[in-house]
Amino acid sequence: MTTPASDPAASGDAALLAAFAAGDLGAARVLTLRIAPRVLGYCTRMLGGDRAEAEDVTQEAMLRLWRIAPDWEPDRAKVSTWVFRVATNLCLDRLRRAGRAVDIGAVDEPEDDAPDVAERMLDADRADALNAALRALPDRQRQAVVLRHIEGMANPEIAEVMDIGTAAVESLTARGKRALTAMLMPRRGELGYE
Amino acid sequence: MNDAKDDHTDAGLDALFENARRSAPAMSDDLFARIMADAVAATPARVAAARRVSPWGRVLGALGGWPSLAGLSAAALAGVWIGIAQPAAFIAVQSGLGFEGAAVASYELEDLMPGFDSLSAEG
Repeated sequence: MTTPASDPAASGDAALLAAFAAGDLGAARVLTLRIAPRVLGYCTRMLGGDRAEAEDVTQEAMLRLWRIAPDWEPDRAKVSTWVFRVATNLCLDRLRRAGRAVDIGAVDEPEDDAPDVAERMLDADRADALNAALRALPDRQRQAVVLRHIEGMANPEIAEVMDIGTAAVESLTARGKRALTAMLMPRRGELGYE
Repeated sequence: MNDAKDDHTDAGLDALFENARRSAPAMSDDLFARIMADAVAATPARVAAARRVSPWGRVLGALGGWPSLAGLSAAALAGVWIGIAQPAAFIAVQSGLGFEGAAVASYELEDLMPGFDSLSAEG
């Protein structure tokens, strides 16, 4: 078995975190390259495209990982899941401070202004169209959809990140996708898919 | 029970998700540097070493470190030496300032605190 010290890139996240706890900064480097870009993408979408704020949240989430390293319990969770969970809470805190309501059980149907959202997508490309539609979702629906369909997490892992049950994850993702479909359907032709 | 509700997936939406996965934002060099700087500062070995500083080490740090402590020690030793040896050069300085040797030797506590005499007399 390869040790983190000899080949960090081939090691598991938990082993890398243990190596960092022992003073191996190379392990921290590998962990950062593995986890931070994904967290950054997730936070950027969660925070409505605010890249600077997403970077701040990503940095804070990673800092908390460094600080907990000496006390990390391997059975606690996957390292990446833990970081996503921290990042999620940081994002929700910022959204609350910014005045956006966060309903933990939010499973709302698309808002009445969905057609307006679609109208604003006239000149948008596919990515922008999806991001605009995601921004129109309730926070928890957006979170579940991004984790499931863009980050590619399995529902149990999403449940752990969001601190809810698997059934609730399924409900949030299903409703979120329905809402997205409703918003994007009128633009199908312009977005280049049928 | 894996996502049975999602089986009616809109293929077009999946294409947009796939597009989003491919266009994930890249981490900037600046962010990477900031995260690594945090890692360096939070390196457990470094933090543990800082926590191991003894109480004496904290006192020393509060005084300004070894240079300040050396200065304080030199000043204290000089004071003790002057008090014991009463070097002629120092007496000459005293004389130059108007302190004659006999007068200096006769100083009592009341000379410095005039109220002390009456206070002690009242008991």
